[in-house]
Formats: sequence, C-alpha cells, structure tokens
Amino acid sequence: MAQIETELQLLKSEAINMWTLVNSQLNKAREAFLTFDKDLAREVVLKEKRVNGSELKIDRDCENIFALFCPVAIDLRFLLAVLKINSNLERIGDIAEGIAKYVIDAEAPFSKELLEVSRVLPMYEEAVGMLEDTQSAFEKEDTILARGVFKRDDLLDAVNKSSNKVLEAHLKAHPEDTAQALWLISIIRRLERVGDQAKNVAEEIIFYLEAKVLKHSKKFA
Amino acid sequence: MESTVIKSRNFNASFGSNHVVKNVNIDIPRNHVIAVMGPSGCGKTTYLRCINRMHELIPGATCEGEMKLNEEDVYQMHPIFVRLKIGMVFQRPNPFPNLSIYDNVIAGYKLNGIKLPKAERDRIVEHSLTRVALWNEVKDSLNKKGSFLSGGQQQRLCIARAVAMEPEVLLFDEPTSALDPISTSTVEELFHELKVNYTLIIVTHNMQQAARVSDKTAFFFLGELVEYDDTKIMFTNPKDNRTQNYITGRFS
Amino acid sequence: MQASNVKFRLGKSYGFQILTYVLAFACVVPLIAILFFIIRAGVTKINWHFLVNIPKPVGETGGGIANALVGSILIILVASVIAIPIGILAGVYLSENRKSRLAYWCRLSTDILQGVPSIVIGIVAYFWLVKPFGKFSALSGSAALAIMMLPIVIRSTEETLKLLPDTLKEAALALGMPFHRVIFKVIIPVGISGILSGVMLSIARITGETAPLLFTAFGNPYLSTNLTQPMQSLPLLIFNYATSPYNEWHDLAWGASLILLLWVLFLNIFTKIVTRKWKVQL
Repeated sequence: MAQIETELQLLKSEAINMWTLVNSQLNKAREAFLTFDKDLAREVVLKEKRVNGSELKIDRDCENIFALFCPVAIDLRFLLAVLKINSNLERIGDIAEGIAKYVIDAEAPFSKELLEVSRVLPMYEEAVGMLEDTQSAFEKEDTILARGVFKRDDLLDAVNKSSNKVLEAHLKAHPEDTAQALWLISIIRRLERVGDQAKNVAEEIIFYLEAKVLKHSKKFA
Repeated sequence: MESTVIKSRNFNASFGSNHVVKNVNIDIPRNHVIAVMGPSGCGKTTYLRCINRMHELIPGATCEGEMKLNEEDVYQMHPIFVRLKIGMVFQRPNPFPNLSIYDNVIAGYKLNGIKLPKAERDRIVEHSLTRVALWNEVKDSLNKKGSFLSGGQQQRLCIARAVAMEPEVLLFDEPTSALDPISTSTVEELFHELKVNYTLIIVTHNMQQAARVSDKTAFFFLGELVEYDDTKIMFTNPKDNRTQNYITGRFS
Repeated sequence: MQASNVKFRLGKSYGFQILTYVLAFACVVPLIAILFFIIRAGVTKINWHFLVNIPKPVGETGGGIANALVGSILIILVASVIAIPIGILAGVYLSENRKSRLAYWCRLSTDILQGVPSIVIGIVAYFWLVKPFGKFSALSGSAALAIMMLPIVIRSTEETLKLLPDTLKEAALALGMPFHRVIFKVIIPVGISGILSGVMLSIARITGETAPLLFTAFGNPYLSTNLTQPMQSLPLLIFNYATSPYNEWHDLAWGASLILLLWVLFLNIFTKIVTRKWKVQL
C-alpha cells in the first residue's frame, strides 16, 4: 500500500474515534439530563478535554498530509471533508458539555409535564440518531444514509419552531416553571444546532464521496 | 549500536578551484530515510558521491573535512571497503548488459572474485530480489539477460545488486528521475521497506518525492546545507526563508 | 521560361543521380574482377596434395605450399600474441586517460605508426632483430608484423571503450571493485565485440603484408616450425615464385594467391558475423 493510503486510513480511524467520543458525550449528557445524575454530567465536562485534543490532532494530521503528499481528487476531498467534519464534531461536543454543565448547575430535575409538552426528548433522540447516521455513512461510504439525515432534521426544526408557542401556553398554566422553561428553550436551541451540525457533516460526506456541493442549496432526500 | 551512522563535520568538496560543497555538518541517523534536495548545482550530488568516495575518481576533484561511518573516518579507510559498506544506485538504471539477471544480482561477489557455494549464491539472489519486490516477476527468467525488463524493473534490479552486498547505507542519486510515474511509485514504496534494514540517503530534485518518502530532509543551496530537519517540519514550517522560497516554488 | 528552367534543373539532378550510381558500381568492379581472375587462375591448382606438400625442386611436378601455409599461420600467431595484449591494454589506457601528456604522445605515435610504410618497418626490424643475431628468423618477422598490428588494435579498442557509457564503470566501482577488475571483468567483456573486430581486422591486414617479411623471415623452402630460423609465408612465396621463370612455380603462386584471398575474405566475413552476434545491447 502506498504511504498516502496508510496515512488516510489512520486519519479515517481517528475521525471515527472522535465521532464515537462525541456520540458518547451526547448520550451521556442526555442520560444525565433525564436521570439528573450530576456525577455523569461531571464526567462529560471532564471528557470535553479529550474532544478538544482530538480535534487538534486531526487538524495537525490533515496539515501534515497536505504538506507531505499533495493529495488530489478523492483524497483531497476526503481531507477537506475531514477538516470541516472535525470542527463540526467539536462543536457538537461543546453542546454536549453545555447541556451537562446545566445539569450540574440545576437545583432540581425538570418537571415531567414540561418535558412532555416541549417534546424535547424525542428531539434529543432524533439529534443523536442523526449523528449516528452520519457516522455510519462515513464509515460505510453510504451516501443514501447521508442524504437521509437531511429529512430527519425536519423533526428538530418542527420542535424548535413550536417550542416558543408551546412553552408560552404551558407557562400561562404553570408560572412556577418559568426558570426551567428558560433553560429548556436554551437546550432546545442547542439541540437544533446539533441537527444543523449533523446536516453540515452529511453535506461534507456527500462532497467527499460524490464531489457534489450541497451547501446552501435545496436538498432532496 | 551507534545510532548515528554517518557524520560529517566541516566537510568541503571542490572540482579544482570550484568550491562546490561548503562546510557541511550533518548527522544521519540509522535506519532512516534522508532526502537531500535543492536546486541544480547546489552540491547535493557531489556531497552524496563524497560519502562513498566516488567523488575522488573525477580528475581534479578534492575534498576535505570529516566524514565518518560509524565513527571511522571514511577517508582513512581503503575506498574499496568503504564502497562495500556503502552501496550506490544511480540515476539511469545500469545493470551489466552482458550478464544475466542472476549474475547481475551477485555481480558484487562474482566480479570481485569472492567464491561462494551455489546454495549461498542462490540464497543471496532470492533474498535480494525479494527485498526489492522483483522475485516473483523474474524468478522464472533468472538466466536471461535483463534487457527485457522495464525501466522500473531494471532500477529495482540495480537496487537488488546493491542490497546483495549487505551494506549499511544505501545512496540513491535521483533514482527515479529516469522512470515513468508508475515505476517511480513502485520504487518509492521500496524505500519504506528497505529502511528497516538499511539507512537510505536519497538525492532528489523532486520536492514532492522528498516529502513523500523521507523521515528527515536536508536542503542544500549554493553548496551550503541550509536546513536539516524532520520532513514534517520542513514542509509545514521551515525555519529558513530560503527553504520556504524553494519549497513554495518562489525561486526561478 | 520558368518551366524550362525547372525542367533543366530536374534533368541535371537526375543526371547526377545516375552518375553516383555508376561510380558506386565502379568501386565494386575491381573487387569482382580480382576475385574472378584469381579464382579462375588458381582454383584448378588447389587440391589436398597442394596443401600438404612443400614445393618440389625445379623441374618436378607436384609440390604444394604446406611450408608457406604453416609458416604464415605461425608468424601471424606469434605476432598476435605480441600485439594483442599490448594493443588492448594501450587502448584501455588511452580510453581511461583522455588528457594526460602520455596519452597525447601515445596517440600521436599510434597515428604516425599507422602511416609508416611497411618496408621501413621491415628494415628497422632487420637492423634490430636480424643483424645483431646474425640470422633471419620467424620471430623477427612476427615482431615487424606486430608493430604493424598495434595501431589498429589500439585505435579500435580505444574507440570501442570510449563509446561505452560511464555509468557502467560507475556501477562497477560502486560495488567496491578494484580498478583492474572493473576493466577486465566489466568494461572489456561488454566491449568485446568491438575489440575483437579490431583484432581480426588487424590480422586480416597483416596476413598479406610482404615487405616486412622480406628482410626478417626471409623465406624457407622447407617446412619449419622453428621460430629462430627463417620461415616461409604465403606472401613471400607468391612474391618469389610469381616472378620466377618456372611454370610450376607460377602455378604454386596462383594457388597461394587464391588461398590468401580466401583467407582474408573469410576473416572479414567472420569478423562481421561475430561482431553482430556478440554485440552487447547497451
């Protein structure tokens, strides 16, 4: 195998490791959120260092491969995609850390009714699912799976859009939940951003595999 | 075992009054691939030829300074012994045209009058040809002359010939500049496998090749060693401006 | 006016072409004439008897050229043994040292030697090798012929080796070969076809040389293999017998001429075949 192939394989497995890490961060944050487990939340915050370190390493490795091997065609697209996916994943990691930090700071768990009415839990599930889909699409080089991610974002958009109205209605009935409602809005916004990041990742995967630029264009599943 | 295999201190070389290599100080670590690059006329090939004492064969060529192989000064040793320990592969593939492939590989022994039993000779030929990934391609035509081989195969045959002498260091003088791209990449893949057993010093005017294959790179310019560092650092953030200008192609 | 001008020039060109063909043909004619003439004159004289007997005394029929045949072979053999090693080594020296003073003088001497008349070489050999020892000998004849062979062998060896690429020598040196092995095991074997052709051409050249042998080998009516005694050789026999007044001896001369001619012819053809077969494709 040529040297560049070895390097690209190593980079691919590093990227997949980062994906797994960020995935587990997101899942743990959700677990902590649901069960109000402050220890788990602290774990997530500590592990954020690893996510940042991983991002720096992948950036450096990409720079080295560019400098030493002058890649072209699919190799070039792969590296460009990995660079962008790298920063997208790191931001998702930041979001997971943010959610975990809330759990640490919160005084009491969320009211069940609030959670139900805002549909934040299905939204979270969907966001995690989108991230897992992008990881599979990257590993298996499956563009159909990647395209499927765009459709899944619809649910997140719907929840986000309706959240204001829904929470306003809920607060009229239960004004004591105001503080929690404000936090919840913030979490919903963040989860919506996770969806956006996942969409960006899917765009990059399609760019790498098919050389099609789907950024800023209407996407069809 | 000493980890620096070749050491140069204040090394100079000239052709008559033409001072081509100026005050080179370099340490070459064992089992590494070192690329030597630079524009034409920068002294890199001359320096390479000084390592195995081929430079002095040119009439009027002189050199001075320290050149040590494993702490022994190369210029105090007999040139024959130096060349037995330091092999060389040239720019144009040059297998001996009157010898078969088998005889070419053990030419270093046979033509030097070193008699070996047939089993030993067979072993050396098979071992060397396997090392250069040529064994499967030629094992049925060992007794034919090498003229039917392609350029890349001939160059690998020359590498096998050098490897058969079990040297410590292998010098390559622009080994792929006369080859087509596919043969070039076959030969480049070899360098990675060869460095397990030998130390390789490769002169190349192809920067991308230097970047692809080497662990450390030395940049020569107008006879001086301008920069010598890990290849990764050389190509992402060189310390000397001249190196940066050369790598980015801003020289004419 | 243009058309007629062009026609004239075309005609001139065509005429010139015809002229070159005719003249080229004219070069071949002498060779064919000689071959034809000698074959016709000599072919009837040749038989086994002719080849194994020495000339009979005048008046007797029969007889042959055995002594001249053996003599020629021996003299040429000894001359080759002297000239070939010296010539090849000198050629090697000249191809390795283009610029030294010795090389300059060596080349100059070789060129001059090539132009020295063969009779002068014969006379010099007489003064050096015949007079001091007081007798004619085959050895002195060989020495004279060797001097004539040298320039051809030296020149062709030098030219052959100069054409070999430097990379060949470099490859051998880089394998740790001492210089003498590089020359004998690599350079000379690769250039063997050119060197051999030079050697054979020089042999073909001296085969027919008469003048140097006049005062050195001198000639011998009997079959002799003693190098320190005078010896007969084909050109000498032809020279002496053709100008003699005896018809039997004329016959011998014709037969010998044919043998000599065939020898030179085959040597040249053989050289061409061997050169092509042994030529190493670089």
